[in-house]
Amino acid sequence: MEKKQIILSVKSVSKIYRMGEVDVPALRDATLDIYDGEFLIIVGPSGSGKSTLLNLIGGMDRPTRGRISFQETVLSDLSDKDLTLYRRNRVGFIFQFYNLIPTLTALENVQVAIEITQDTLDPMESLTMVGLQDRADHFPAQLSGGEQQRVSIARALSGNPDFILCDEPTGALDLEASKNILGLLVDLNQKLKKTVVLITHNSAISEIGHRVALIRDGSIHSIRSNEPPKPVEQISW
Amino acid sequence: MVNRILLRKLLRDLLQRKWSLVSLCLIVTIGIGCYISMAGVYRDLSGSKKRYYQNYRFPDFIVDLKRAPEWAVEEVASFPNVRAVRGRVNFSTLIDLPGKDEPISGVSISMPETNTPVLNDILLMSGTWFSGENDKEVILNDAFAQENGLYPGSRIKALLLDKQHELLVVGTAKSPEFVYLISPGGGELAPDPARFGVMYLTERFLQESCELEGAFNQIIGLAHDSSRTALTATFGLIKEKLDPYGVLNTSLAEDQPSARYLADELTGLKITSTVMPSIFLIVAALVLNVIMSRMVAQQRTVIGTLKALGYSSGSITRHYVSYGAIIGLIGGLGGIAFGYWAQGALVTLYREFYTLPDFEPHFYFDIFLIGMAISLAFAVLGTLKGVHHAALLEPAEAMRPPPPEKGGKVLPERIPFFWRRLPFRWKMILRAIFRNPFRSSVNVLASLVATALIFSALSMTDSLDYLMSYEFEKVSHQDITVSLRDPKDITTTREMLLLPTISETEPQLAVACDLKNGPYQKRVGVMGLVRNNRLYTPLDKDGNPIVIPERGLVLSKKLAEILNLAPGDTVTLRPLIGLRKEVLSPIVGTVDTFLGLSAYANINYLSNLIGEEWAANVIMGNTFQRTSERSFLDKLKLRPTVTGIRERTRALIQLDETFGETMGTMMSIMVLFAGLIAFGSVLNTTLVSLSERQREVGTLRVLGYSPANISRIFSGESLVVNVVGILLGLVFGILLAKSLSLAYSTELYRFPAIVYPWRLVMCAAIMVVFISAAQLIIYRLIRTLKWLEVLKIME
Ligand SMILES: Nc1ncnc2c1ncn2[C@@H]1O[C@H](COP(=O)(O)OP(=O)(O)O)[C@@H](O)[C@H]1O
Ligand SMILES: [Mg+2]
Repeated sequence: MEKKQIILSVKSVSKIYRMGEVDVPALRDATLDIYDGEFLIIVGPSGSGKSTLLNLIGGMDRPTRGRISFQETVLSDLSDKDLTLYRRNRVGFIFQFYNLIPTLTALENVQVAIEITQDTLDPMESLTMVGLQDRADHFPAQLSGGEQQRVSIARALSGNPDFILCDEPTGALDLEASKNILGLLVDLNQKLKKTVVLITHNSAISEIGHRVALIRDGSIHSIRSNEPPKPVEQISW
Repeated sequence: MVNRILLRKLLRDLLQRKWSLVSLCLIVTIGIGCYISMAGVYRDLSGSKKRYYQNYRFPDFIVDLKRAPEWAVEEVASFPNVRAVRGRVNFSTLIDLPGKDEPISGVSISMPETNTPVLNDILLMSGTWFSGENDKEVILNDAFAQENGLYPGSRIKALLLDKQHELLVVGTAKSPEFVYLISPGGGELAPDPARFGVMYLTERFLQESCELEGAFNQIIGLAHDSSRTALTATFGLIKEKLDPYGVLNTSLAEDQPSARYLADELTGLKITSTVMPSIFLIVAALVLNVIMSRMVAQQRTVIGTLKALGYSSGSITRHYVSYGAIIGLIGGLGGIAFGYWAQGALVTLYREFYTLPDFEPHFYFDIFLIGMAISLAFAVLGTLKGVHHAALLEPAEAMRPPPPEKGGKVLPERIPFFWRRLPFRWKMILRAIFRNPFRSSVNVLASLVATALIFSALSMTDSLDYLMSYEFEKVSHQDITVSLRDPKDITTTREMLLLPTISETEPQLAVACDLKNGPYQKRVGVMGLVRNNRLYTPLDKDGNPIVIPERGLVLSKKLAEILNLAPGDTVTLRPLIGLRKEVLSPIVGTVDTFLGLSAYANINYLSNLIGEEWAANVIMGNTFQRTSERSFLDKLKLRPTVTGIRERTRALIQLDETFGETMGTMMSIMVLFAGLIAFGSVLNTTLVSLSERQREVGTLRVLGYSPANISRIFSGESLVVNVVGILLGLVFGILLAKSLSLAYSTELYRFPAIVYPWRLVMCAAIMVVFISAAQLIIYRLIRTLKWLEVLKIME
């Protein structure tokens, strides 16, 4: 890999949830840089703070302490409005349970994302990219889990984001479908040069990323690089 | 048996939905409040009326005569069906009060020298009965006395025939005859106690002053059978036997303006006290159904678990019915409190129009109970849909997650041409609407009902304004109207013109006549107009002047219909003044007017019919601007033949004050209540869709939608549904206004249904305000929704 350019950096970030009388620290002093164009995998056991970290990076929540900066901007300094714009224009999000809108067709679920932005891909093109051009008129209930996740990828893609954040994207899928999805994500990373951050509790998946950050008890325990990353076809669990 | 845990769940569930709870309870409160207050006022008013009429012997019939000797009264008493009679003198009067510019019209009524029970008795409010020592003592109508600052001990001047008398006020009194203080001659719409006086004088004094020694000009009586048919027979007998004494008029006491207004008011109250609450409660029950269905759907796993734990369907049913019961209970209690308060306020308002003894807001326990029962019944009905689902749910099925929401096309998608052109946001909006047909229909219905109510309320005020301006501005142009006791010849008009302040006069001849066509018969006032009438220009209902022929009559359509006459026919006419001889008159034309029973003729023609060359008994006049009316009124009131002086502007102002203000307040309240229906149902149906679609909101937020972007989707839904509701509501509102105008129209006049286009716009604008208020709350909820948490929860 040539010169690494940091597009987002997480510095000593803590996130503490208040549950009535008790404080639940979900993140403690986590520090992490994300490089432009990389495929970063954050792996850790359930409850270790992965989702919390991803949500902070995605501008969906604010840290209790520490700072997260995207290029020149410090996310915690942004107003709610600007944070919304950040999500809209910079980030594409993929969830474990797809979060498609049940009353919209596949195509319309993609359109939802581009309705509010200017610099977009054609929704049909996005669907074609994930191989669902023939299912454009189907409603989520008429699609398999893997297909729904593909719609969700098309949706994340269509807003032309700087990076794509995936929260356990294969958590609800069988191996076959999972590999299909992961393959798509790797394609996005390689062909479209999108930065991809993927979190998972499944260490088998971590083989496919450029770098792997290990998270434990709310802090980044270690970071390693896969030289080279394993092709998706070769992983298994 | 109350399950403590389930009760706790119930309270928490309710608390979570506090907006729904508050708005629903409010609608129920208004509905029950309307019922409690109006049913209460109805009973207060009808009870008070019944006691008053009974205790003070309100008669069944009234006979006006020229001059009936005292023994004629005995004769009537001997007629079959006559239970009791009383002869009295009833004479119109002009009252002159110190410090008042113009003389006040009124009537003088004879009373026995000593306070003995008689028909149409009076209830002394202050002072005493006649002393028996001084002839010139008067008991005044209490409201009239109060309005004019008169007390026992005050002195007033009154004109009887051609003599002015100075009278000593000894007492003030109320009478069942003047509950609604309006001149029995009619012609006026609103009571004006300051401007219409009733004087009670001793029989002997009044007989002497009116040249009726030993005689009466009115016989009032009670009948054994007071039905209209029985009394018609009695009237026939009276007309036949008393003809020598000049029977001028026979009428049912219940047809007198005071009694008529009171009866109409009671009927109106009865109808409104059922219609209004029904509207509110039906809307509340429907909205509650929407909420409960959602709650049951949301809690299906809870229901499954409870059933699996061994809770019976019955206890689950009871649990969900309790939600309705609680709303019914709170709404019912609120309604009782609000209703009882409103009952008091309404009674106070009614007292301004109706003078009755012991007319007080009473506490009616049974009405409260009925109100509470209705409230509970409707609220429980409101849980039906939800409870039905809950009870049918099998535990095993309930524990499974709900089947995924089905896709499938909605109705508008079947029209691809239209659908393809639709912007994306509108596709979402239309899908949401058509996928929840029940919820959307409830919303449409509520906004339809609210719009129709608001429009009909606004249109009512317009109708009243229209009628007033029609009568007082378009038809009448005179400054003053002077009524004369008997028809006079042309010199009187000329004389009036000589008065320095009068710029223009126009005579009129008003003759009460019996019109007959075979079996059809009607008594009406025929109005004789001069050829180039300028001060009084009757119009048809489209505003075109009515053309008066030289010979023959023009009848209103309604009257022609009653008499079964058409232009070209001939009618038999018997005037009740002058010669009182039957004559034949051709019908020249018919016109459609607001005044139901009008008949017009040329003044010369009408004069001839009563056996005169030329006669007038009404003189209208215009005054020069900026001249004091005092001087000419001074001269006029001394004329023995003047029985009334009316100023047009004053009458209009008075009408506006009494009706306009009350009407304005009532209509504002109506608009507010109707608006709350719209507010409450829009809020609740949107809250339900918001709760169903929280996850969707969360997803959209992640995708970078701002709260405003998302609100636009929800308000778009509301917009479509409510635009449909409002448009339908306006159509229904117009129909409602039309049917209300029919309901309020009597034989005497037609209440026009006024539909101004700008009112339709205003009505829609008012609806938009209430709907926006609900949307504002929804926006706030979307803005503060913890969407990240929502996304973290796996359903
Ligand atoms: N909204 C919240 N309120 C309280 N505690 C939370 C909240 N969200 C997450 N947590 C807690 O923070 C910790 C980390 O959660 P999360 O980031 O979701 O972990 P992971 O995604 O790695 O499973 C967990 O202990 C979790 O219970
Ligand atoms: Mg997680």
